[in-house]
Amino acid sequence: MKLKTASLLAATAGATLMAFSGAASAACPVKVGIAYPTSVDWGKPIAETALWVAEMVNEAGGVDGCPVETILRDTQTDPKVGVDAAKSMVDLDKVQLLIGAVSSGVTIPILTSVTAPAGVMQMSCCSSTTKLTDIAKEGTSKGLFFRTFATSNVPAAVTAMAAKDAGYKKVAILYKNDDWGQDIGKFVAAGLKAVGIEVVANVAITDNQPSYRAEVTEALGTQPDALYMALYPKEGISVAREWISLGGTTKMIGANSLKSDEFKDAVGLQYLGDFIGVDNAAPRVDSATAFKEAYKAKFGSEPNGPGLANSFDAMAIALLAYSAAGNGATGAEIAAKVAMVTDPAGEKVGGDVEGLKKAMALLKKGKPVSFQGGTGAVQFDKYGDVSAPAVIWAFGEGGIDEKRYLTLEEVNAFMATLQ
Amino acid sequence: MIGLVSYLAFFATMASILAIATLGLNLQWGNTGLFNGGVVAFFGAGAYGTMLLGGHPETGQFGGFQLPFVIAFPGGVLFAGLIAWIVGVLTLRLRHDYLAIATFGVAVAFEAVTRNAEWLTGGAKGMRGFPRPLEAAIGDNFLYGLFFLGLVLTILVAVYVGLERLAHSPYGRVLRAIREDEVAARSLGKSPARLRLEAFIAGSMIMGIAGGLYTAFYAFVSPQDLAPILTFQVWAMLIVGGAGNNRGAVLGAFLIWAAWTLSGFALSRFAPAALQLHAGSIQYILIGLVIVGMLLWRPQGLLPERIRPTLTGKGAARTSAPGEFQGGQNP
Repeated sequence: MKLKTASLLAATAGATLMAFSGAASAACPVKVGIAYPTSVDWGKPIAETALWVAEMVNEAGGVDGCPVETILRDTQTDPKVGVDAAKSMVDLDKVQLLIGAVSSGVTIPILTSVTAPAGVMQMSCCSSTTKLTDIAKEGTSKGLFFRTFATSNVPAAVTAMAAKDAGYKKVAILYKNDDWGQDIGKFVAAGLKAVGIEVVANVAITDNQPSYRAEVTEALGTQPDALYMALYPKEGISVAREWISLGGTTKMIGANSLKSDEFKDAVGLQYLGDFIGVDNAAPRVDSATAFKEAYKAKFGSEPNGPGLANSFDAMAIALLAYSAAGNGATGAEIAAKVAMVTDPAGEKVGGDVEGLKKAMALLKKGKPVSFQGGTGAVQFDKYGDVSAPAVIWAFGEGGIDEKRYLTLEEVNAFMATLQ
Repeated sequence: MIGLVSYLAFFATMASILAIATLGLNLQWGNTGLFNGGVVAFFGAGAYGTMLLGGHPETGQFGGFQLPFVIAFPGGVLFAGLIAWIVGVLTLRLRHDYLAIATFGVAVAFEAVTRNAEWLTGGAKGMRGFPRPLEAAIGDNFLYGLFFLGLVLTILVAVYVGLERLAHSPYGRVLRAIREDEVAARSLGKSPARLRLEAFIAGSMIMGIAGGLYTAFYAFVSPQDLAPILTFQVWAMLIVGGAGNNRGAVLGAFLIWAAWTLSGFALSRFAPAALQLHAGSIQYILIGLVIVGMLLWRPQGLLPERIRPTLTGKGAARTSAPGEFQGGQNP
């Protein structure tokens, strides 16, 4: 019963204190919270990249003339731990900007139970789930959430385009059974239907099975013109081999995950003549190359881990928006400035100390800029999602041959025709 | 100041939810000696059950009945009980480590189902959009946090009082008798099989209560919430607090959860900038040290089990770990 009394006391005390809550204060240094899984091998470089951006922003003069102080917390990829870390940064450190997390299962509860209710802006580098788009559509995220990781709808739309151009009428889909595979499988099915192609089979492929004969037979029985695979190389190899040995067509379309020499060698180039691959392209812009160079200079290795360019852009765009909104801005005010940082009509600025300095000076004057980061000229839609350019590729003697590069504009134009 | 209150309320809410789960495990392990290695399955059954009944409907997905919380929550708890009944009937003939492995397998299977049965659970993406009880009526985020803490604390106190009375009732004594010596209990005309099953189901339903509250608190649940680490956390809480002692279970839950989260907070505050990137790994080491240290210095837990003297004056305070065979010491 003691506990109950304590909670009552706390409630009374809280109600008295209510009057004092409200606007963020302009304190120096500017605190920015980061919740990334630093105790996981692939999470550490993502966090390292974000800290590096903060360093550069400080070199460029800081946010609104005030140095940035990053508070880095580990999420352990455990939703409970990540949400607690976010809550402590929002409540105790009074951050108005939170960067994180990586796993969708952590990002969503942080958004719905911490940042959105508290009016803090959140930007994630790497969460891919469409649930986040749904949450934004519902209005739960109040326009406070952004992510620099392109959702699977771009490669899916381009897949539909490629299948249509190849003249296929009936396509069977095999997808990896996780959140990425379930998403992209669904998008590809919708895209194919939108361009008038029949989806005759839609079969999940679970990892680490000794054989996929049952799944392959199921798809084969529907007699498709072509096979679409959103699989990783290991499962892709078994599936493709069984598919061909059972007399399936060699007309295959694959997601970016199959873009590997391992897959090519194990299946055999003689069966891959008609193979069409689709990928989110690394953009052909100077800024992407510049990011690679700068990363190499800083860390002494290529930025080959997942999500590094995305982490770079998330942190840089968020800090530039913070700078535009000014020290002491609330999360909503910072979020409102994101469009100004990624305005395609604005002056192009790069992601180095010079570029950041220039960007902050322009933003200060109220002029929009177009930030050119590690993933190119990022642009968010009204749900905080980004699109990316795409590429259609094929297997050749020498490795991967690029067949067609679709710029962001072309992708957007095609996606508009689907709706 | 208001931030501190808000954070502490948040912390206490999560710690209380975990304390409820720990109390459930205490009934199973501390009182009855059942080694449940699949805490997360019953926690998850409560969470997913509540979400299925109370969540929004989603296209192409079963569930989302939008039932009010007062129906959805008990529904989730009953679902946890149902799962426990099925699992219990199948596995409770097993003892100790065999039971642990079997229940661990059940937890892994449960996680696999939530990840794959997209029509039922939303698959790897999880389920969201649970309307939190009375949230609209209260409105303010800060006050709602306090209200929810009050709700969770009330349930924690109710579970605690209920289990305390149970532990000191004749029923509790029979459970302990089964824990200590099943053959002796049977020779006295008790039915260990039935009583073990009852304790297993009751403990699992308490874990289901924790799961249902967890879902309501986050308004979201995904297979990521069902990682085996949760089973480990709850076990650590019970062992540090003191198996067999309900007060110990609650204390252990608060202490371990504080060590888990405050270590991260302290490191982000006080560790030098150069170490920030490694703070996550250091945090794991600290958590591990706390648990290992506790096991070395106080294997019986902070608040060891205490057995009240009976009417005949026998059975004084005892400080052994439960599950341990007591040889000739027993009256």
